[in-house]
Amino acid sequence: MNAIDIKDVKVGYTKRTVIDELSVTIPENKITTIIGPNGCGKSTLIKTIARILKAEEGAIYLDGTSIQKMDTREIAKQMAILPQSADSPAGLSVFELVSYGRFPYRRRMGSMTAEDYEYINWAIEVTGLQSFRDRPISEMSGGQRQRVWIAMSLAQGTEILVLDEPTTYLDLAHQLDVLMLLDKLNKLEKRTIVMVLHDLNHASRFSDYMIAMREGEIITDGPPEEVMTKDNLRDIFNIEADLTDCPYSGNPVYLSYHLSGSDDHLPSRNDDREVM
Amino acid sequence: MKLDHLQPDSVIKKRKRAAWIIAVLFILIVISFIISLNTGYIRLSPFEVISTVTGFGTDQQELILFQFRLPRIVIAILAGMGLAVSGAILQGIVRNPLADPGIIGINAGAGLAVMLFISFFSSDLGSSVFALPFFALLGGGTAAVVIYLFSYKKDEGVSPIRLILVGVAVAAGINALMIVLTLRLDPESYEFLATWQAGSIWGSNWSFVQALLPWLIILIPFALMKSSVLDVLNLGDHTAVSLGTDLEKERRILLAVAVGLAASSVCVSGGIGFVGLIAPHITRQLIGSAHKYVIPISALIGALLVLGADTIGRILLQPSEIPAGVVVAVIGAPYFLYLLAKLND
Repeated sequence: MNAIDIKDVKVGYTKRTVIDELSVTIPENKITTIIGPNGCGKSTLIKTIARILKAEEGAIYLDGTSIQKMDTREIAKQMAILPQSADSPAGLSVFELVSYGRFPYRRRMGSMTAEDYEYINWAIEVTGLQSFRDRPISEMSGGQRQRVWIAMSLAQGTEILVLDEPTTYLDLAHQLDVLMLLDKLNKLEKRTIVMVLHDLNHASRFSDYMIAMREGEIITDGPPEEVMTKDNLRDIFNIEADLTDCPYSGNPVYLSYHLSGSDDHLPSRNDDREVM
Repeated sequence: MKLDHLQPDSVIKKRKRAAWIIAVLFILIVISFIISLNTGYIRLSPFEVISTVTGFGTDQQELILFQFRLPRIVIAILAGMGLAVSGAILQGIVRNPLADPGIIGINAGAGLAVMLFISFFSSDLGSSVFALPFFALLGGGTAAVVIYLFSYKKDEGVSPIRLILVGVAVAAGINALMIVLTLRLDPESYEFLATWQAGSIWGSNWSFVQALLPWLIILIPFALMKSSVLDVLNLGDHTAVSLGTDLEKERRILLAVAVGLAASSVCVSGGIGFVGLIAPHITRQLIGSAHKYVIPISALIGALLVLGADTIGRILLQPSEIPAGVVVAVIGAPYFLYLLAKLND
């Protein structure tokens, strides 16, 4: 089963087309990661899936229906999106922010129902934020804040979770923390997760499926062991990578790398060099 | 159905806090109301006020209270509410605490229309007073449309900061136009314009109350109904879309509501600026940014602010008066600068 079908999509800005005739499918109940160099169109693709950008041609299908033909609130009940930059307004507590995740279900004047509160409390619990729920967002660290935003997306109660670079600006430990949380949600709750990541090793370690892009096109897609190869990385990023297997996931990861067709990585730091 | 057990203490505490704030503001408004009834060219003691209200006053006392002071007080309260809620909505749409119907030119647009209207019908308004809000709306609405069109870009929609900058420019343009027009006005219209721009509550009889009240009765509850949309808009455009808001549509509706509130208020109260800036800001300091609290509390603070300013303006330089708009500006202008300085941090 496919969660999202992207068919012949063309997207761009007024002057520039970023993606043209792109087709790819996102598998259901899996973690899919989109990778690629800066400016390759991965953010554009995820924004189009998130209906922040409109496809000029082609369409994105959610469960067989084109999202252009769906009511935006109905989409919000099936797919939650965590944008790269979200503003946290001052004077909001964790509980209040997470409660906004119930927005697609609210009727005009209606106050929240018991079901709404159950979703909110579940989302706070599963993200490990119980002891923080009264705290103002402004007093939380970057890593904790990212958890709060994920909790808000979870409160939306959707099958699909779309995240645009959820680990950017976080330190190593918090990056892993966020990815493990997403992994848990996928394993335990069977959520379909689609995200953009910059860190290839994280992408390989936590993904079931990877989509590699360059210059608005998909170079290759498949399970990590098919995508994370020496040849593909050269094609996608112009790098020569030394690959090995991740001791935790068994998926391929790189130890180090240098730029293709360049010897600039030499000499190594250990060489004795005269000080000029 | 009580759902308190599903909510953390902080949420319940905040609800109680909001109720307390509303109660305190209500009492403060009642106190200002009584003081305002007492003060003016002819002072009435609290005892005389009470006896007149209960029907034992002289004809002169009744005339002063019921025909002059009371409608003016009611208009101050209503206009304060309208301007404050308008500001709260605008700040929600543009996600910037500097938005205010006065600063971005909606008040000026409404004022220009009111001025043209008055110069046609002269000072004898009669039953045409009910047409006044519509004219103000036309002026304020035109200003808003111009601001909207100039701050709209195809790929990005309306950028909040562009909306403010364009608004400031539009406000300056309209004010300049008004000054040019004053050169051609007869002395009577000129005087009207001058007092209007200073924000003097000029529409002080019951027909003005009747002209303004329906707008607020419809638009303030509507704004309250949209409070969850405003909350979500606060999270940024992308998050708002992700949560299922039709961004541009909601923005346009809310902008129209803000214009309606500001224009109908301003056409009877004169160009009172800064209320839409100060009231929502104080409110957010008191209770946070959930709009189900921000809207009603801003409304009360706005009412208190304009009523207080009007009363103070009548007390300070007796027997002459300082327009309420000037009194608010004395507080408002430094407050605006303070906000600007704080934003730069």
